[in-house]
Amino acid sequence: MLSISALEVAFQETTVLKGLSLSAAAGETVGIIGPNGSGKTTLFNCISGFAAQRSGTISLKDQEIQSLPPHERARKGLGRVFQNFGIFRQMTLLENMLLALESRPGEELSVSPWSSAARRRKEEAMERLREIHLEAKALNKASSLSGGQMRLLEIMRTVAAGAEVFLLDEPTAGVSPRMKDDVTEIIRRLQALKKTVLIIEHDITFIERFCGRIVVLNEGHVVLDDIPERVRADERLKEIYFGQGA
Amino acid sequence: MMSLLALLSSEYATHLAILVGIYLILAQSLNLTFGLGQLFNLAHVASYAVGAYATALLSTEGGCSFFACVVASVVLAGVFSLTLGSIALRLTNDYFAIGTLAFGAVISALLANWRSLTHGVLGIPGIPRPNLLGVDFYDNRNFLALLLFFVVVVQGTFFLISRSPFGRALRALAEYDQAAAALGANTRRIRNISFLLSSSAAGLAGSFFAYYLNYIDPSSFSLSEMIFLLTIVIVGRPGSFFGVILSTALLVLLPEPLRFLNLDSATLGPMRQLLYASILFAIVWWKRKSIFPEQREV
Ligand SMILES: Nc1ncnc2c1ncn2[C@@H]1O[C@H](COP(=O)(O)OP(=O)(O)OP(=O)(O)O)[C@@H](O)[C@H]1O
Ligand SMILES: [Mg+2]
Repeated sequence: MLSISALEVAFQETTVLKGLSLSAAAGETVGIIGPNGSGKTTLFNCISGFAAQRSGTISLKDQEIQSLPPHERARKGLGRVFQNFGIFRQMTLLENMLLALESRPGEELSVSPWSSAARRRKEEAMERLREIHLEAKALNKASSLSGGQMRLLEIMRTVAAGAEVFLLDEPTAGVSPRMKDDVTEIIRRLQALKKTVLIIEHDITFIERFCGRIVVLNEGHVVLDDIPERVRADERLKEIYFGQGA
Repeated sequence: MMSLLALLSSEYATHLAILVGIYLILAQSLNLTFGLGQLFNLAHVASYAVGAYATALLSTEGGCSFFACVVASVVLAGVFSLTLGSIALRLTNDYFAIGTLAFGAVISALLANWRSLTHGVLGIPGIPRPNLLGVDFYDNRNFLALLLFFVVVVQGTFFLISRSPFGRALRALAEYDQAAAALGANTRRIRNISFLLSSSAAGLAGSFFAYYLNYIDPSSFSLSEMIFLLTIVIVGRPGSFFGVILSTALLVLLPEPLRFLNLDSATLGPMRQLLYASILFAIVWWKRKSIFPEQREV
């Protein structure tokens, strides 16, 4: 479904990703961990088209996408959930959802709010909000939501945009412990929908619950790529996180 | 009471209504790029100038009809914005402001120095009023009626645009460009279209301005005019459709009482500019946290 090969990304002098290869099959959930600054977000930025690669290829559904602009990658089914919350806080929840529906390829757009396409999208948007139990807040500004609710909205909005591959960058960051279960639930829902999911997380115990595979990044390389049990048991994991001799 | 009625139906009131009408078109169109899109577009007055000069030249030297002049003004201002946009929209934030400012300066320099075309600082006199349907548009009340028709069409259009999927996408990318792109919004194209719509309307305003005054020169399209337009949008709250309508009327009419102070015009001009600059400064100072919501990036 998604396949990255020999990816190199550099900002001025510093090379952040040094020939990284990684792939995810359709319907698979892959966890990505690694210390701060190991290049996890940069990897996602490069896949979604916000950071240019120096070399390497990125394929989505067997099509190379590395030279496409971000919105075309999105229209091919790539979804991105941002570490710093990608929702539009100045807009209502309904508008956040409508934006996703209106950005889908082939949507019939007009200036008239009474067109049948506009009404259908509004109904669909409300239905999506109901699925995350936020329909009562449809007309509130998104800035009024808690961190956890923002995550749910952002993930559901990406579903509404028609994404098949989800890049979730620390979906539990800024989420209260109580709401973590809701985030878990929505990730499980993505799995039930047979979506391909890549999740960046710091907490290995959190992601091993739903990841069949965990990839460990360090200094721009894939150090480990294995099932959770074996990654956990590997000495190299401790070395990366606690330094030599720990 | 009688005197108030007399004042409202007077030539003076008609003149003020015409000014408000022209500025409604200018300000509401700037509100699309600068307000909703949060693009620091400092070339709006340049588009206005392109429209005014197109009508001035085509109606005097070209002898073109009202419709030909209006269409040419709108189209040329639109083409101007696409040229500008193809360069400036590659720039981000502050650089975009500087880029559009530089482009505006180029237009100012051309107006003042390309004498064979623009007559330089002498300006273009003798622009005839529209000759249309046998109505006498030298009568300002008739001219106002014609202008009002266009004002209503433009306001209605911009109202619908601001509430359409396009307007929503424009607001979204103003807040978080990459998040909008990640949903599939073509951010470059949306900005270009907003620029095109906004500048074309400024071209229309320019056309009416030329028709109304019968004479234009570069001094009407200076940086202080740009500051005035920014003041209108900022006072009305960037992105607010009705706020900008109210502030246009308020700010265009605000310096009028100064006229009754019996000042000579050499004092009046600078006093108006001082007034607007102080209002702009005061609002930006008081509302510095809320005028422009924070923009985010990955
Ligand atoms: N736009 C940029 N310009 C320059 N350097 C950058 C840029 N983006 C990231 N970097 C650098 O690249 C390295 C990797 O950053 P990245 O954000 O990918 O790390 P991360 O693994 O996501 O870390 P965290 O766990 O803190 O989110 C860091 O050293 C960072 O300073
Ligand atoms: Mg990160």
